[in-house]
Amino acid sequence: MQSKLSDIELIEQTLGGNQAAYADLIKRHQRFVFTLAMRFAKSREDAEEIAQDCFVKAYKSLSSFQQQSKFSTWLYSIVYTTAMTFLRKKRVDTTSIDDENVYLQVEEHGSFENNLAEKKSRSFYVNQAISQLLPDDATIITLFYTGEQSLEEIAETLGMEANTVKVKLFRARQRLKEKLEKLLKHEAKELI
Amino acid sequence: MNSIEEQLWNYIDGTCTPEERQAISILIEADENYRRQYEELLALNAEFENIELEEPPMAFTYRVMEAVRAEEAKVPLKASINKNIIRGLFGVFAFIIASVFIYALFSINWSAGSNHAASFNLPNVKLPVNLPPAKNLFSSTPLLKAFIFFDVVFGLFFFDTYLRKKRAARQL
Repeated sequence: MQSKLSDIELIEQTLGGNQAAYADLIKRHQRFVFTLAMRFAKSREDAEEIAQDCFVKAYKSLSSFQQQSKFSTWLYSIVYTTAMTFLRKKRVDTTSIDDENVYLQVEEHGSFENNLAEKKSRSFYVNQAISQLLPDDATIITLFYTGEQSLEEIAETLGMEANTVKVKLFRARQRLKEKLEKLLKHEAKELI
Repeated sequence: MNSIEEQLWNYIDGTCTPEERQAISILIEADENYRRQYEELLALNAEFENIELEEPPMAFTYRVMEAVRAEEAKVPLKASINKNIIRGLFGVFAFIIASVFIYALFSINWSAGSNHAASFNLPNVKLPVNLPPAKNLFSSTPLLKAFIFFDVVFGLFFFDTYLRKKRAARQL
């Protein structure tokens, strides 16, 4: 049985003309890239467009990847810049922290009414709360908890100082905690 | 001074110094308020660690690879031509021109008078295929003139390209 190739090995094969190796690289990172894109886009179609765009960009500049950092860190920085450009272009309305229409937005996703099974899942509420955060906060939380990125790597991805990321992560977690409490309180009221 | 919450997050993340770590662990042991907050944040941290990733559409990889292939197809023909082929062609033509020129130089009867046109004979090469002799092929003046004209133009074209590149490189 063939052992799982590393990212670097797949990159070398891709640069050697093996496109199937790049398809493997996409399969490996697509869930995370798509999740990151969702933090900015809020709709699956837009997120797919961002994710696709960033994989094409990564392919085009694969030869310039210096291998000084992890491939994932390099890829996430492409996602971040692509998503920021997308936001500027589309002028997506981001939800402010004290926006009273937060619940309306959540209901528009059709999740509260339709996914009774998911309602019981605590992680469902966490995801809902993240979707209500500002893109920057949601990105830092996602990179830190699911992207297996250190503060230094997040700093590299976002083009910030590690200390700034640390402060931003702390604030993002505070906001996420508030959102989560609000959501759960709202849900409890509905149940009563 | 960091707030209790900030200190506790640093403690959970492992980003505080060993001294800070020791001080916070003592506080957690001794202070009820610290311990309660610590347990609350620890539970929250465990929840955040279980954040589920979104699943892209099933045909996502296929679509990306299609887009990649489309991008590759956009590469202009100029960029995809192997430069070695161009160099090879140039070499062949340069060799032919040089050979004809050198042969012509050696065939000229320099001692002939100015009233007589310089003449040279092409070698009588025997080929396995029954082709008309080269002498007959080039004996018609228009064909010979056209051949030399074409070679001269081609040579000038390459020389011009070479000079242009040299000038561009100097400007950079």
